[in-house]
Amino acid sequence: MSTSSQVMPPSLPEEENIDELLTLTPQLARKRRSQFRIIVDRFTRNRLAVAGFFVLALMGLAALLAPLLYHATATYDPSTYINLRESPAFQVPSWQHLLGTDDVGRDEMARILYGGRVSLLIGLSSMFMAIFVGVTIGALAGYFGGIVDNLLMRVTDIILAIPLYLLLFVLSASFSNGSIFSVVLLIALFGWTYTARLVRSEFLALKEREFVMAARTLGASNLRLMVRHILPNAAGPIIVSATLLVGANIITESILSFFGFGIQVPLASWGTMVSDAKDYFLTHPILALSPGICILLVVLSFNLMGDGLRDALDPYLTER
Amino acid sequence: MGKLLEITNLKTYFRTREGWVHAVDGVSFSIDQGEKLGIVGESGCGKSVTALSIMRLIPHPPGETLDGSILFGEQDLLEISESAMRKIRGKQIGMIFQDPLTSLNPVLTIGYQITEVLKLHMGLDTQQAKRRAIELLREVGIPEAERRINSYPHQFSGGMRQRVMIAIALACRPQLIIADEPTTALDVTVQAQILELINSISSEYNSAVMLITHDLGVVAGMTDRVVVMYAGHVIEMAPTDELFANPRHPYTLGLLASIPRLDIGRQEELTPIEGAPPDLLHPPQGCPFMPRCIFATNQCKAPPPLRAVGNNHVAACWYDVNQPAEQQRAATRREARAHHLAMLDATAQAILASSQDSRAAPDSDESAASSSDGPATVTKAGED
Repeated sequence: MSTSSQVMPPSLPEEENIDELLTLTPQLARKRRSQFRIIVDRFTRNRLAVAGFFVLALMGLAALLAPLLYHATATYDPSTYINLRESPAFQVPSWQHLLGTDDVGRDEMARILYGGRVSLLIGLSSMFMAIFVGVTIGALAGYFGGIVDNLLMRVTDIILAIPLYLLLFVLSASFSNGSIFSVVLLIALFGWTYTARLVRSEFLALKEREFVMAARTLGASNLRLMVRHILPNAAGPIIVSATLLVGANIITESILSFFGFGIQVPLASWGTMVSDAKDYFLTHPILALSPGICILLVVLSFNLMGDGLRDALDPYLTER
Repeated sequence: MGKLLEITNLKTYFRTREGWVHAVDGVSFSIDQGEKLGIVGESGCGKSVTALSIMRLIPHPPGETLDGSILFGEQDLLEISESAMRKIRGKQIGMIFQDPLTSLNPVLTIGYQITEVLKLHMGLDTQQAKRRAIELLREVGIPEAERRINSYPHQFSGGMRQRVMIAIALACRPQLIIADEPTTALDVTVQAQILELINSISSEYNSAVMLITHDLGVVAGMTDRVVVMYAGHVIEMAPTDELFANPRHPYTLGLLASIPRLDIGRQEELTPIEGAPPDLLHPPQGCPFMPRCIFATNQCKAPPPLRAVGNNHVAACWYDVNQPAEQQRAATRREARAHHLAMLDATAQAILASSQDSRAAPDSDESAASSSDGPATVTKAGED
C-alpha cells in the first residue's frame, strides 16, 4: 500500500468546476437525447395518450382556477355554491348559468368546478397513499421472500377476497365523517393490493438480476439495494398503475358518494352531484349528465395516458 | 509479501430436495499481497461459489458455508458481522463479473454507479466523487470521460462496460480483486485489452487479483500461480510456468491436452477428457476424477491428499503421472479403451444393420426414427 500513493493518477485541476468542464467540452454540444427525452418522444407518438394528457391538464387547471373562472360568470357563496344574486331552481343553461341551476338553485357550473376539485383531490391523494403502501409492502415481500412474503401476500389475498363495496359502505357508515380525508383513507385502504402484487412480482424478478449482485459486492445494504437499485427499474409499471389507479379511485369515490357514503354536503363531488340529480334525470338530464360526463372524461383520460406511459416506459421496446 | 487471504477447508453446500450439493468441498488456498492467482476448472467445479463464499454472498437459502475459515488479514470473514462485511465488500475486496451487459444497472447513469461506491466507502462528497469518477474512467480508457459519465449503460459497448465495471471494482483501491470470468462474454479482440487493463491497474494499485476462468490461455498470460479445481476440490496448485511445463494431475494433463493448437494439422482431432464431472449431490468417495481417469487404479478409491510434488507445487493424485512408467501404463490403458470402444461400435453397427434388414420398414419416417435411437439401445445390448 505504501507504493500506491506514488502512482496517483493524473488528477483534475482542483479549481476547475466539474460542471463547467462538462459544458466546455465541444463534443458535449453534440445533440444527444436524454432518457427522459426518449420517453417523451415515445409518449407523444401516441395521439390518444396525448389527448388524455391535455384533457386532464385542462380539467386540472379549471378545477385549480375555479374561484377565478367562476367570478367571471356569477356570484356565489363558496360554502354552499348557492348563487346569491338569484336562486330559482331548474334554470336552463344561459350565459348567466352556463349549465343552468339545480333543484335548490345552485349554479351547476360552479358545482362542477368545485366538485372537480374534490374528485381530483380524492383520486390523486388516495392514489399516492395506495401507491406508497402498495410499493412498500410489495417491495418487502418480493425482496425478502420466504416468511415475510407469505405473510404480506396472505394479508393482500384476504383484502382482495373481501367484497370491497360492501365493506366500504359499512366502514364509511361507521367511521367516515364525510370529510375528504376520511374518504381518501378508506379508498386507499383497499386500493394498494393490486400495486403490492405488481411491485412484488417486479422485485422478485429484479432481485435475481446480476446488477443487484454486483451492487451487493460493492457493499450496498438491503435498504439501498431496494430503494436505489431495484425500485428505479420498477418505476415504469408503478407509474402506469398509479395512473390507472387515479381513474379507479375517482370511480370508487363516485360510487361511495352516489350511495351517500362519501363526501357530505355542503361539499360536492361529481359522484354526489350525480346522486343528487338522479331524481330529476328525466326532466333535467343535464344535471346528472354533466358531472357524469366529467367522470367519464377524466377516468378515460387517465386510462389512455396510462396506456401511453406503459408503452413509453417499457424498457424492452427498442423503438426510439 | 505476507498472506492477504487464506482459505482453509472451505465447505459450501447447497440444499436441494434430494440432499446437499457439495459445490465446494474442503478447499484450501491462499493469496499473497499483490499476487495474481488464477483459478481454473470447468463449469460447475466450484470456482464461482468459492468467490461468492469469500464475499459471503452465497444465496441463502439454499446455499450455506458450513465449515472452514477465510482469513483476510487478521479477521475471519466467516465470523464477522454483516455490517462489517459490507464495509469490506467494495472497499477492500472488489469484484468484476462475467457479463458486463447485465451487471450494470440499466436505469442508473455510469456516473451514479461509480460515485455511489466512492461516497459509500471513501466518504467523498458529490463533487469530489464526481471528479474521482472521471479520473477513474480516464484510467480505464474511456474517452471523453466528462461526457460519458452522464451516459447510461446501454449507450456503451460490451468492452466499454467491462471497463466501467473495472473502474467501479477498483474505485476504492481494494487489496483484492476477484474477477469472475471477466472476459468470457467479450469479443476475442477486446479480451486481451481487458486482461491487460486488469493487470496494469492492479499492479499500479498493488492489489492482489483472483482471476477465475476456464480459459487456460488467460491464466498463462497473466497469473503468477494457478489453482486447478475439480468437483469442488483443489486438485493441483503450482506457479503458472511450472503448471504448464510439468502438470502433475491427470485432470490438468487432460485440460492442457484439450487446448486446440495451431501448430498441429487441421485434420487432427481435439483430445477431450472423456466422460462428465461427477454428480455433486453424491460425490464419489475417493478421487473425484477417478471415473474419468486413465491412470486410475483401485488405490484411487481412497481420496488422495494434496501432496507436494515439486517446489511450491502440490497435486491431489496418488501417482507421479510424469514418470515414464505411469505414462506407459496410461497409454496401454488408453489403447485398450479405444479398442473396446471400436469393438462396441462394430457390434452396434452389426446389430443396427440386421435390425433394419429384418424390419424392412416401408415407412421412411419410422426407419429414420429407429436409426436415430438405435445406437443408444444397441450400446446397452453390447455391454451385456
